[in-house]
Formats: sequence, structure tokens, C-alpha cells
Amino acid sequence: MLDRIADLLPSRVQRQVDQFREVFELAAELRSPQILRSLGPSGARGLLLQRGKQGVPTHFQSRHRAHFDWSYPADQPEMQDLYRRAKHGQWNGEDLPWHIDVDPLNPEVPLLPESFVDFSYLEEQGIRLDALERRKLLHSLATWMLSQFLHGEQGALMASAQVTEAVQFFDGKYYGATQVVDEARHVEVFHRYLDDKCDRVYQINDNLFVIIDALMEDSRWDMKFLGMQIMVEGLALGAFGTLYRMTSEPLLRALLRNVIQDEARHVHYGVIALREHITKELSEAERREREAWAFHVSMLMRNRFMAYEVYDEWFDGILPRHKWRAFVQRAPGMEIFRRTMFSRLVPNLREIGLMSEEIQKSYARIGLMQYFDGRAAPDLSGDELLADLDHAA
Amino acid sequence: MGDRLTLSDRWTAARRDASMFVRTYLQGRPPAPLVRRRRRPTPLAVVRGGADQAAPLDGRPLLIDEVVRETPDAVSLWLRSPDGAEVAFVPGQFLTLVVTVDGQTLRRAYSVSSHRAHAPRVRLTIKAVHGGRVSGHLNRAAAAGATVRALGPSGDFTWDGGREELVLIGGGSGITPLMAIALAALRSEVPPRVTLIYGNRGLDDVIFREELAGLAAAHRGRFEVRHVLEAPPVPWDGAEGRLDAAQLEDQLEAIAPTDDALFYVCGPEPMMAAVRAHLDTRGVAVGRRREERFSQPAEREAPPPTGPQPARVTRGGVTEEVVVSAGETLLAAGLRAGARMPFSCTMGGCGACKCRLVEGEVTMEEPNCLSPEERADGFVLACVARPCGPVAVEVDG
Repeated sequence: MLDRIADLLPSRVQRQVDQFREVFELAAELRSPQILRSLGPSGARGLLLQRGKQGVPTHFQSRHRAHFDWSYPADQPEMQDLYRRAKHGQWNGEDLPWHIDVDPLNPEVPLLPESFVDFSYLEEQGIRLDALERRKLLHSLATWMLSQFLHGEQGALMASAQVTEAVQFFDGKYYGATQVVDEARHVEVFHRYLDDKCDRVYQINDNLFVIIDALMEDSRWDMKFLGMQIMVEGLALGAFGTLYRMTSEPLLRALLRNVIQDEARHVHYGVIALREHITKELSEAERREREAWAFHVSMLMRNRFMAYEVYDEWFDGILPRHKWRAFVQRAPGMEIFRRTMFSRLVPNLREIGLMSEEIQKSYARIGLMQYFDGRAAPDLSGDELLADLDHAA
Repeated sequence: MGDRLTLSDRWTAARRDASMFVRTYLQGRPPAPLVRRRRRPTPLAVVRGGADQAAPLDGRPLLIDEVVRETPDAVSLWLRSPDGAEVAFVPGQFLTLVVTVDGQTLRRAYSVSSHRAHAPRVRLTIKAVHGGRVSGHLNRAAAAGATVRALGPSGDFTWDGGREELVLIGGGSGITPLMAIALAALRSEVPPRVTLIYGNRGLDDVIFREELAGLAAAHRGRFEVRHVLEAPPVPWDGAEGRLDAAQLEDQLEAIAPTDDALFYVCGPEPMMAAVRAHLDTRGVAVGRRREERFSQPAEREAPPPTGPQPARVTRGGVTEEVVVSAGETLLAAGLRAGARMPFSCTMGGCGACKCRLVEGEVTMEEPNCLSPEERADGFVLACVARPCGPVAVEVDG
């Protein structure tokens, strides 16, 4: 109904109204005052002020505590094992097959297949794209996704360094240092791929900025940990997995293969560190706060990655924003993305103790309880993850 | 900056926030979807015009510090800013010289051929071309102590670090940007392997002959110069003939570039065409090639002037009504009227003044740097566009 009224407005006004609406909807979603306090300022900086798109570097004031321990305890065998595996799993970004020429418009080797989106929906809206335009739009979408990976990895680089300082497990610090290197390598290879092979980088999506902002501004290490190691890494695994399954481009597949193996370790670490902390050290109230926070970030990730940056480039003034949302939401590729992401994320939340019976009702309401019984990160190696994806493809 | 955000940092951020909010939510102008990338012409190079600048298209003065004769028909001008400030440039960029010859103001692009280590001086090397009024004038009359006016630097034929191998292919005065790139690459922290394939008529026509030999000796194993001469002296142990597809094939066979090598090509159009065709057959992706093309002024089609035409220039939601006099460019008229229009080279070579034509028609001096895709999307270059009737353009930013 609101959409229909909005359609009557001139396109520029329509767009402004729609953007405001999104902000208010988000504010309405964050019902509890605690969540509003924790995500509200980040939401304002990301969505209203678009700090990530101002064309200048962003400065965050970090407030975490660095934890030193002069007795060098070695009491976390699972983390020691991860550290060992991480050392053996290192790879050099320069060894990827960079000599492969990537022609994003080559129909023989598409970055994304046509089945990723539903072009018939655009046609119903009177937008008919020819074969070349379709390839260009798919190229834009693929490049948009990769750009968001790149920005997310930059967030992970900073967050993993902070978490390494803050974490109280000494074995976790050893492991954390390898993750910092992993994240730097991911930034390196995604940026090189975008810069050399795709010739463009999209700005950071406002919602991704909100999550990164919230993590950087929160002083509690376990919130950074939860946000980065479980939520953003889960999002990344969903997105990498989707692209890995769907792309035919050999260099990108090789790149993602390596990245996914690293990410599997990162999530594993997040789960073992938080399981210990959340189940043994936090009060019930503190646990509940984290549980609600994780649920809201899940919603943010489920509903709000709408590739508006691609919309701005292609359809601003041509197609109303709510119709673009419908186009993105019903894209088969996005459905796969949501499935891949939550089938990893939900079991991990269960494993770390953030899936009480009470919150399960909320997850059931948004249709995510179907993933509850899946395998969590500690039971799933990188190779198994890849085998799953290869099998699904 | 200290380790904490200061009040002044916060104030700057708040002002930026406010302007972002107003633009997106009140004026309906969302930020650009793509990240502005550093390889493109540097923002520093783009002069923001406006009413506060008296005659922005005339450029700024640079002093001729020294004149060096490179070959019988090529001369290098070492220039410096009268205020002592460094003339910043990205290796491969060019300056537009604004020169008055016989009472007529002419604009020509010349690549910077020096290295940052030479700052605050920059070197432009100018070869006298047949019938060239500016190049002939500068070759004859340029003297130390005189002043020239310059715009820019401009252009995206640049090297900004990275890559393990560069193959530079130049003909005649096309060496100038390649020289800057070679100097920067070889002096970089992790220097790539650089090969220069350089075509000329005779040995006396080779610009920077000794300098290149010195560089090759100093960077043995990393920098190689392969001369190709049409009329070589006797004896001659280099390659002989024109730098055409067959010659290029021999040269590239000999140096066997890796699959990651980046190709920079600058020279006369027949050579550029031959190189392009050969790189196509070798399957070198477009993303691994950079080309710089300077059209000869005599070759440029000057459109016939029309009478005064009204034009509307919109930028950032502000529209200026402008009258373009007969023969005047959109950019000149817009700046005269105080419109905030970006520009750099002012001769159709860099794309800084690119804007979208939303109404009416213009004629442009050809050739220029617009790509077929940009033309299809309705972009024009304000610095070489003259309206055929009433027009309206939109400027980004």
C-alpha cells in the first residue's frame, strides 16, 4: 500500500522517502533499549550519515583493553591445535594464477550465471535487457559482492588485531596473530582481483558499515569477537560459498577456495573462545544481551544487503527502489546466499550458547530454525566445507 | 594526529556528515556508487574552476630554469614553480602548455619526462613536429629565465607501483611519458623488470640516448633498452626497420614477457595501431595495456563556429544559465559565468571535464579521449565541446 502511494511521487522524492523509511524501519526493529543503545549510533552513522561513502578515511575510537599475561599459560589445547593448523595452512596470494585473463563480459566464462537473478521480473516492470546488458548487470552484481567482501575483510583485519590484544587466552593470541595475517592476505587478493581484473570497486554497503562500526566502537572484546568471528565471518562464508558455487571463472574459484579454508578456521576459533566465555563467565543478563544482539544482526544480514550501490548505477530514476528490493530478494542466487549463510551461522550460535528457548521463538518467526540442527564449526573442516559446496554445485 | 580523535577532528567529521545528509536526503543526490580509484587522474591535478579565479583556463606560470638540446629537433625544458612549490605529478602524466604564438593562444600537451627526485624541477621534452607552431616556437625560442603557462598535470597513462614486469613501447617523442615511468619504476622500492622497445628513424633522433644507456648500465639485469632504427648507422648491432607488427613480434619473442607484464604504448598512430593489433593476436588483455595518444593539432577537426547559444550547466543541484559565444567552448563559457566546472588539460586529452549532455547537441574537436561507451552514454568533454543550439549539461560531484 505504502509502496503504491510512493510510486505516485516524482522519482527523486520517491527515493528520498524510501531511504528515510528504511532508517525508520531499522529503528523500529531494534525494539529493546539495550539493542538500540548498542546498534543505534552505528545505524545513524552508517545509514543516515553514510560515513563509509564520504570519500575520506574513517576514524574509529577504539576502547578495548589489551590483556597481557606474564605467566604464558598453555591451557587451551584446541586453540593450540588451530594455531598449528593455521601455520601449515598459510599461502601466498601471489601464487594464485593471476596470469589468467578475466574478461567479465565473456559469455563462455561468466562471473555469475544468468540464473543468479530473475530477469523475467525486470521484464514485468518494463525493463528489457539485451544479452550484453544482462552480462554487464551480472558483472556489476558480482563486482559489488566482491567489493563488499573486500570491505568486510578490512573490518576483519582491524577487528582480529584488536581481539588478539584483548583476548585472555594466551593460546588464542598465538592463533589470533595468524588470523591477522590471513585477513591482510584476503584484503590483498580481493583488492588485486577487483583492481586488475574487474577494473572497479564499489563503495561499502551502508549496512555492512553499521556492523563494522558497531564492532569497532564496542569496548567489550567478546562483542567484537561475536560480531566478527561469528556474524561477519558467517556472512562471509555464506557469500564466499555462494560465489564459489556459482562462478565459472577459474581465478576467482581458486582465490575463494583458499579464502574459504582460512575462514573455516576463523569461525572455529570464534566458537571455541566464545563457548568458554559465554557459558562460564557471563551473567544471565549479559548472555541475554548478546543473544538479542546476535539476533538483530542476523536480521540485518538477512534483510538488508540489497545492492543499492548497483541500483544507483543502473536503475536510479528508472525503477522504484522497492521494486529493486523485490528483484534482489527473489533472485535465486540470493536465496542460496541466505541458505548457505544461516546453515553455518545458526548452529554456531547454538554451540556458543546464544540460542536459548526464548530466542528460538524469534528465529522461528523469521524462518531460521530449520538450520538449528546443522553442524557447528568445530565439527566441520575447511575441506568438508568445500566438499559440501562442490557437491551442491 | 594524536591517538585520540580531537575536537577539531570531530568538528570536521560533523560538517562532512551534515553535508552528506543534506545531499542525500534533502537534495536527492546520493554518493557515487563506485570508489574513486587512485590510478585515475589525481584529484590534485584537477583544477576546480570558479568565479574566484580570474582566468583559470590560462593556467599558472612556470619558470624555464634550463634548456637542454636533446636532438637536432628536440629540446628539454626544465621548469619550476616561481613559488618554489613542487609540481606534483604521477609518472606518465602530462602538462598542457598555454603558449601565445603570433598573437594566438595555443594549447599543447607535453608529458613530464623527469623523476620526483628532480623536484622542484620538472622536465618537458618537446620535439619539433612538421608544421607544428608551438613545438617549432619552443624549439627555436625557449630560453632560460622566460615564463610559460601550464595546466595540469593530467592523464591516466600512469604507473602507480606494483607489477613485476613493465614493457614500454615507444616511438619518437612518445618516449617522454615512458621515461618518467621507467625512472619511477627503477627507483621504486621493489623495482619491476623494465624493457623499453624504442623506435626511431636514425641514431641522431634518439631522445635521451645517453641517459637511457646510463640507466641500463646502472640497472643491469633489470632494465633493458632495445632500439629499433629505420636508418641505422653502420655498423649497428640493434634492430633495423620500422616498429611494426613483425618487428614487435621479434622483439617480444626475444624478451619473453611474463603473463603478468603491463604494456605501456606511446608513439605515432601507425605504430600504435600495429602494437594494438599485435597485442590482440598475443591475447594480451585490455586490462594489461595502457595507451597514450597525442593527436597532432593539424589533424584535429575544428567544428565550424555557430552563433551565441544559451546553455544550462547543473552541478550539485545548482544550475547556471550561460551564454556561449560563437566559437567558445562550453567550459570557457561556464567558467566565465562562475559555474563550478572541473577541468585539467583543456584540450580533450584527460577527461576531467567530462559531463553529461542532457539536452541539445554539441560538436567536439576530434579525436579526443572519450571512449565509445562514454559517448553512447551521452558524455561530452566541456573543454572541446561547442553547442550547435541551446544545450543543458550535468556535471558530476
